[in-house]
Amino acid sequence: MTRFRTLDLMVTVLIGAAFGVAYLGYGQLYTLIGPFTAAFKPAEGLLAGIWFLPGILAALLVRKPGAALFAGLLAAVLSMLLGSPWGWGTAISGLMQGGGVELAFLLTRYRRFTLPVAILGGLLAAVLEWGWEKVIYYPEMSWPFSLAMLGAFLVSGALLCGVLGWAASRALAATGAVDSLPSGREHARIAEA
Amino acid sequence: MPASPRPETESSPISPITPIAPVSLDGLTWRPLTRREPTIAGLDLVIPAGQRVLLAGASGSGKSTVLRALAGLLDEETGEGSELVPPPRRPGERGLLLQNPTHALVAATITRDAAFGPENAALDRPEIHHRAEDALASARVDLDPSRAPLDVSGGQQQRIALAGSLALGPDLLLLDEPTSMLDPATAQEVRTAILEAAEGRTLVLAEHRIEPWLPHVDRLVVLGDQARILADGDPEEVLRERREVLVEAGVLVETEALEDVATSAAPQHGAPAEAPDGAPVASLHGVTVPQHGLRTPVDLAVHAGRLTVLTGPSGAGKTTLLRTLLGAGAPESGTVARPPREKIASVPQDPEHSFVATAVRGELLASPWANDEKLADELLERADLAHLARAHPSRLSGGEQRRVAIAAALAQQPSLLVLDEPTVGLDARRRRAVLDLLDEASRRGCAVLVATHDAELIARADDHLELPGSAQDELPPVPRRRIPADALNPLTLSLIGILAAIGSFAVHSWQGGLLSLVPIVLLAPLAVRSVRGAALRLTPILLSAAGLAWTTALLGDAPALSGPAWLLGLREAARITVFVAPGVLALGSVEATALGDALGGRLRLPARPVAAAVVALVRAGHLGRQWEIILRTRIQRGLGSAASPRLLASATLALLVVTLRGAEQQALAMDARGFATATHRTWAEPSRFGRADVLGLLLAIGLLAWPLLAELLVTR
Repeated sequence: MTRFRTLDLMVTVLIGAAFGVAYLGYGQLYTLIGPFTAAFKPAEGLLAGIWFLPGILAALLVRKPGAALFAGLLAAVLSMLLGSPWGWGTAISGLMQGGGVELAFLLTRYRRFTLPVAILGGLLAAVLEWGWEKVIYYPEMSWPFSLAMLGAFLVSGALLCGVLGWAASRALAATGAVDSLPSGREHARIAEA
Repeated sequence: MPASPRPETESSPISPITPIAPVSLDGLTWRPLTRREPTIAGLDLVIPAGQRVLLAGASGSGKSTVLRALAGLLDEETGEGSELVPPPRRPGERGLLLQNPTHALVAATITRDAAFGPENAALDRPEIHHRAEDALASARVDLDPSRAPLDVSGGQQQRIALAGSLALGPDLLLLDEPTSMLDPATAQEVRTAILEAAEGRTLVLAEHRIEPWLPHVDRLVVLGDQARILADGDPEEVLRERREVLVEAGVLVETEALEDVATSAAPQHGAPAEAPDGAPVASLHGVTVPQHGLRTPVDLAVHAGRLTVLTGPSGAGKTTLLRTLLGAGAPESGTVARPPREKIASVPQDPEHSFVATAVRGELLASPWANDEKLADELLERADLAHLARAHPSRLSGGEQRRVAIAAALAQQPSLLVLDEPTVGLDARRRRAVLDLLDEASRRGCAVLVATHDAELIARADDHLELPGSAQDELPPVPRRRIPADALNPLTLSLIGILAAIGSFAVHSWQGGLLSLVPIVLLAPLAVRSVRGAALRLTPILLSAAGLAWTTALLGDAPALSGPAWLLGLREAARITVFVAPGVLALGSVEATALGDALGGRLRLPARPVAAAVVALVRAGHLGRQWEIILRTRIQRGLGSAASPRLLASATLALLVVTLRGAEQQALAMDARGFATATHRTWAEPSRFGRADVLGLLLAIGLLAWPLLAELLVTR
């Protein structure tokens, strides 16, 4: 079933918008690790995974082709309209992040919505986003440091996007807020069994 | 009402299409896939055209599901049923209004909101505007139509939502507790608007507060469990002959309870209302917060063991006053005295904003200041929640959630308990349970302060502060200063940012980079609304650029922090500024609605995703307010600071819960306005290209080419 009901569309775009808003608060996290990243920039990659969350959540909850890409893009567009310092670079990042997650689910032909696929989504998003950042922001960073950054991106993608995103989707299903979506119904079946 | 701009048509364009048909359900059953038992078990109901029917019944009797069934909007992907009503034959044939009007609002202005249905019906532009105007007048919306629907009071919001339905000329109006979240006076105004609009249409209304509607309906249907009909007939007859059924269904307790309390309120607490003993637990003296509506100085003292109510029209500053007392915002003048942080507990209007745990008992013990397990168990008992101790707080009913939030606040053993509208939207029985719990709080010696419109709660109070009204709807919206960039189409503004970003790839030297910045600096004033706004947008760019210079100088191939490394860093900083700055500046003039009109109406991108994206972007401000409440409530509970990763994670989850719960209602409201079939919708406003856009286009090309020219100039 690939048709987006109005509910599927709204869940997708609102996940994007909710993260676009929450990201304003997440700036605090970067301040927290600021002293550390000033000395060693690649460490900033350790937080990269949180930017992939709209994509992974939309994919896991809505389970329809394009949901991850759309949610990732919308979160980025909202950040951009709210004045993100990376301007149009933000929109491309949204495409890379949402698109990376989307790719993982496309590879399973949208049949599997499990933790391993979520982790794969986080890893693919990490590779694409790192590639984009390497080209546009850090072309002059020497390769050893760039590869260290890739490592940080991958760890973050797997954990903060894959594992945390998957856990968040389960936690949301438990609240009953997504009962009208396939993910919520699956939760209800497990709870009844 | 404005005169019809088209005198040749006799009836208004939003009149129902006559003759309207009767509605009938014949053995309707429905079971959501997540439930074992059906929520509607074989319902027969025939409603003749033009009849006004009131559906009564306790929460959980399936009233809402019956309304959805009548609307033809039960989704067979989420449940199984038989004898379902087919979907509407034309967009908006059956209008549906929900309890919380914010779920129905979709646009950045009142006009565009009313136009949403006609756009979905793919009407042409003059017809869309004609219908929107007529619908707003019929629904008695008397605000500046360019205002943002999400920023006006609840009563106006519900009328805007009504206009949204009326714009499609519905034969049948379905209303789900449309006034339950409003204060009595506002509810009366909305009721009048609804009844007037229902003229010549069939009306089916679900309510738990039935009295005000009784004189205006032809028929009263009382529903029991699984929407079984307990009584059905002429309202007076049902009231007279089936009284016991109404009381049992929780529909009629209310009037008696109110009389009860009005006569016994004072003795219940033992102390006469004018004689608070001892020093106040918290107080405000001469406090004003003019930027949030509190203009006249306010004095307030709340005392231990007493219930104080705070009343006043919406927009009078009740929420602001509570925030000030809680220490979440500083007053412009006056002094505030409050207990230490751990002795204050607050309960937000939507209890889900405060929830952090996955079980009710855990919720009571979540705060580090709630460490008495015996007290928690006792409170669970008191709040009639003991049997739900292991249930997920989010899975409970609205009334149970309120009690969990209050019990969790009391588990902190606060000396001050502050609540925002704790009984709004609850039926008689559930309200009573909340009131009992507030009594329990003051019995424990807690000073209880409640912002409310609830007459029964006000009658119970020991002290009462009424804020004078400076109604929120009368405040004139602050107009934005127009700047040259506002004259451009959003697509032109986007092109400027995108082409300038592409142009930045030509930067290869620090001299070329600096020279590339020159036109950006010169053109920036065209896109800057105020010095402060410019600083807000540009400072992060400059910080990011400085960060990049540092990183490049430190981690590049040249020796770290050497002269050449710094020059490389300077080049990178200039390059990235050329890459982002034009886009960031131009985006300041892009509004979500105009962007949607351009993408959907001009570029013909798929209409439903574009329209849905606009709805989501328009709600960003509303989401931001919810995010703020969620964060503040958690900090108030002692769960961490705004920089704590754990707190941010739990706040994000809470924001998603309320957002996704709202998404379901929003999707329903949008489908009732024809969105489900709107693959070829129209757009109320044209996305124009004017002479300014020619200049904008030239500018975009200039910014694309300039860095290359700059490099050629400096290498000469």
